[in-house]
Amino acid sequence: MQRFVARSGLLEGGRRRAQSLLRSQQQQKQTRYFAQAAREKEIANDVLPKMPPFNYTPAPYTGPSVDEILAKRRQFLSPSMFYLYKKPVNIVEGRMQYLFDEGGRRYLDGFGGIATVNCGHCHPDVVDAIVSQVKRIQHPTILYLNHAVADFAEALASKMPGNLKVAFFTNSGTEANELAMMMARLYTGCQDMISVRNSYHGNAAGTMGATGQRSWKFSVVQSGIHHVLNPDPYRGPFGSDGEKYAKDVQDIVDFATTGHVAGFISEAIQGVGGIVEAAPGYLPAVYKNVRKAGGLCIADEVQSGFARTGNMWGFEAHGVVPDIVTMAKGIGNGMPLGAVVTTPEIAEVLTRRSYFNTFGGNPVSTAAGLAVLKVIDKDNLRENASTVGAYMKDRLTALKEKYEIIGDVRGRGLMIGVELVSDRQKKTPANAETLHVLDQMKEMGVLIGKGGFYGNVFRITPPLCFTKEDADFLVDVMDYNMSKL
Amino acid sequence: MAFRRQIVRATLQNANGNNFAQLARAGGRCLSSASPSSSAAAADTPPQLPPFDHQPKPYKGPSAEEVLQKRKTFLGPSLFYYYQKPLNIVEGKMQYLFDESGKRYLDAFAGIVTVSAGHCHPEILKAIVEQSELLQHATTIYLHHAIADFAEGLAEKMPGNLKVVYFVNSGSEANELAMMMARLYTGNLEMISLRNAYHGGSSNTIGLTALNTWKYPIPQGEIHHVMNPDPYRGIFGSDAAGYAKDVEDHIAYGTSGRVAGFISETIQGVGGAVELAPGYLKMVYDTVRKAGGVCIADEVQTGFGRTGSHYWGFETQGVIPDIVTMAKGIGNGLPLGAVVTTPEIASVMSQKIQFNTFGGNPVCSAGGLAVLRVLDKEKRQQHCAEVGSHLIGRLGDLKEKYDIIGDVRGRGLMVGIELVTDRKEKTPAKAETAVLFEQLRELGILVGKGGLHGNVFRIKPPMCFSKDDADFLVDALDYSMSKL
Repeated sequence: MQRFVARSGLLEGGRRRAQSLLRSQQQQKQTRYFAQAAREKEIANDVLPKMPPFNYTPAPYTGPSVDEILAKRRQFLSPSMFYLYKKPVNIVEGRMQYLFDEGGRRYLDGFGGIATVNCGHCHPDVVDAIVSQVKRIQHPTILYLNHAVADFAEALASKMPGNLKVAFFTNSGTEANELAMMMARLYTGCQDMISVRNSYHGNAAGTMGATGQRSWKFSVVQSGIHHVLNPDPYRGPFGSDGEKYAKDVQDIVDFATTGHVAGFISEAIQGVGGIVEAAPGYLPAVYKNVRKAGGLCIADEVQSGFARTGNMWGFEAHGVVPDIVTMAKGIGNGMPLGAVVTTPEIAEVLTRRSYFNTFGGNPVSTAAGLAVLKVIDKDNLRENASTVGAYMKDRLTALKEKYEIIGDVRGRGLMIGVELVSDRQKKTPANAETLHVLDQMKEMGVLIGKGGFYGNVFRITPPLCFTKEDADFLVDVMDYNMSKL
Repeated sequence: MAFRRQIVRATLQNANGNNFAQLARAGGRCLSSASPSSSAAAADTPPQLPPFDHQPKPYKGPSAEEVLQKRKTFLGPSLFYYYQKPLNIVEGKMQYLFDESGKRYLDAFAGIVTVSAGHCHPEILKAIVEQSELLQHATTIYLHHAIADFAEGLAEKMPGNLKVVYFVNSGSEANELAMMMARLYTGNLEMISLRNAYHGGSSNTIGLTALNTWKYPIPQGEIHHVMNPDPYRGIFGSDAAGYAKDVEDHIAYGTSGRVAGFISETIQGVGGAVELAPGYLKMVYDTVRKAGGVCIADEVQTGFGRTGSHYWGFETQGVIPDIVTMAKGIGNGLPLGAVVTTPEIASVMSQKIQFNTFGGNPVCSAGGLAVLRVLDKEKRQQHCAEVGSHLIGRLGDLKEKYDIIGDVRGRGLMVGIELVTDRKEKTPAKAETAVLFEQLRELGILVGKGGLHGNVFRIKPPMCFSKDDADFLVDALDYSMSKL
């Protein structure tokens, strides 16, 4: 390790050899290596990493204090409402990839309001769209015409492959998945729905059934749901062999259903489950089996959608085209909005009765949605997510070489997970350390998320305007705090 | 059918053979300060919109036809709309809406009972815009004062021990949560809801909803739909006891004797502004609680002072529920919903993680709190009582004049007018309702439609609706009905 090398005179010769090796590589890479080395040296010498500069002053905050807010939360809000950190952060303002607390202190937002703020907090184009629309009309309902919802639906359809071009607007991911599940059941006339263990799809009755993690499931009647083996390359029994996991789906179809199913729903990369990307080859095999059984394939893009993985949609990396796509979170940069996109044939099932969503498709939310699509193109967010994401993943992988506690680094684009284990063989979850490092990172100005069934995975899903410098800062802060463990 | 076609043709032409629609437009566009005529004579000239000092912005966006075409292509065949020639609404201000040509309409439906304070109400706009420029979304994993302040504001409006608030994004989400709470808290599964109710369109709420047009054939499990205490169409008239007995019977014969809960609206919205027979909820709440169940009040449409006499619909029945759900008017159009309950019931939810990503976000919370403040400051509840009773009074007079009006009902600014072709049989006058609906639009009034047979006008405007607006509405109805 370089830290050891720098200190020890005995290995002086080895260091010179390494340096000349580096010099023979590309100039940029060299620079980066040196910068990295310099940072490592700083960390070794207890010099704190510095947040990239940002030319912005938050407004002075004169609202209630942390204690007042906590007291009201305890008194008036759900007792199960939790917050991160020993000392919770009072976030009062946001700008692009940064958040500000009541004291005006800036934080790097490595979590994006849970993979939601894709364009950046208060992105001017999105705020403009919202403010100009809200001043004109907030809510007429779709009983009357208004161009905003139509324009947004058209733009969304243009981002979809195949015949996916009919959109339904809801107010959340839960509502979107509920609608998708109902449509699949109506379209096929079957009730059995297959979802993946460790998944998360929502908190209403149907979606809570589809969700595959007990911490998120109350004792509801789940009729017709089957949870299949998770194609988890890190913890799954078949490693990265997607087709082997797909056999479990066929098994369920053959032995647990009539042989015909309503459908299959999955996330391309599990979010709440700890950034677990489906093993390669899994989705194509499963889609084939499910379609043979007459079922529809639903892609839950609530977290992986809208450029986060470097592609517009998470399912693109798996070479499949779903029958129904659900989305929320990033769709409106934080506006309460969700959508279901499907084919005209499948959409037709809802004509059998009346389906109506009062707030769904309102002009303000859809104006925001359209603005988001434009920003994704204008700000080149797919490219940025891909490049910065790959860079950050590389640096984190290097960190994995350095610290035994990092069991796995995974993900795609700016949807990255770092799993901490106290034993690499047994993969024993290192919860306490995860919580501790999370907390310490916040103290140093970096906010990231936590997930995974065992709560031992860092979830890094920042606004997609995240830069290489931001990535460096995040990784350095993680490095620094792990070195102190 | 031919008879019905005759009616349609007759109404679209006056005695001189001129196009009724043209006449109506000519009258509607004239914004003179002449006060609307009384109901003494159904005038030959159509009544006029009360004056309003607001110029809509010139509209340069897609036309109605373009929008309709895009909707048909990209929003699916199941998306329906009002009117033969759908209206392109591009702007709103208080109780008025404007179409692409700048024509003004009286909004008597408030985006389905949703725009409570008024379209683009300045104080609410200010709160929304200010917050949108500061922080739209971070989630409750961090602190923020807006959600806490709003929860406090809401809890202050609640009686009894109703003081724990959950924020969601819609009425469906709120009712889903309430139903889950009821089942978890009691350990029972059976839920009871009223026939003709509407509670949502998601997995569980679609089961509670009891109108076949809104129910898809999916499993609903363990739901009992009891007799609707409908004073107009119900078999016991306004005698609540008969209806309440039906609940007892369902429990005694259709369940294990123990239930999860009972949910109802106090004035059914989608069902056609049907107000529950007086005294009903007191009896039923008692029965349900004896069977171990909790009582849920769906205030999605009746809440926030709309009924005039009380802030919450359930107060009109003299009861205190265990769980209250709300949406629609809560945010004047913001996608927002809430569930308020007692600490005891809330505690069962803390066994697992229950999280709503968008729920309680700073913008919706700031908007919601502004709505509470505005409705108080502008004394909207009292206003609903005054204007509502004036409106209902005048509609009562109209009922004397026209046989087709079977029933006028409601309270405050939540009013229903049921049209029938035969007052004894109460045969729904579907065709006539459809015709009048279109005519009102021609005259510049947008009302809502409801009831299982689509023969009820729903009058539920933004709560800034004035006496003049009420007079205009009744005059226009008078005028249109005289031409039938």
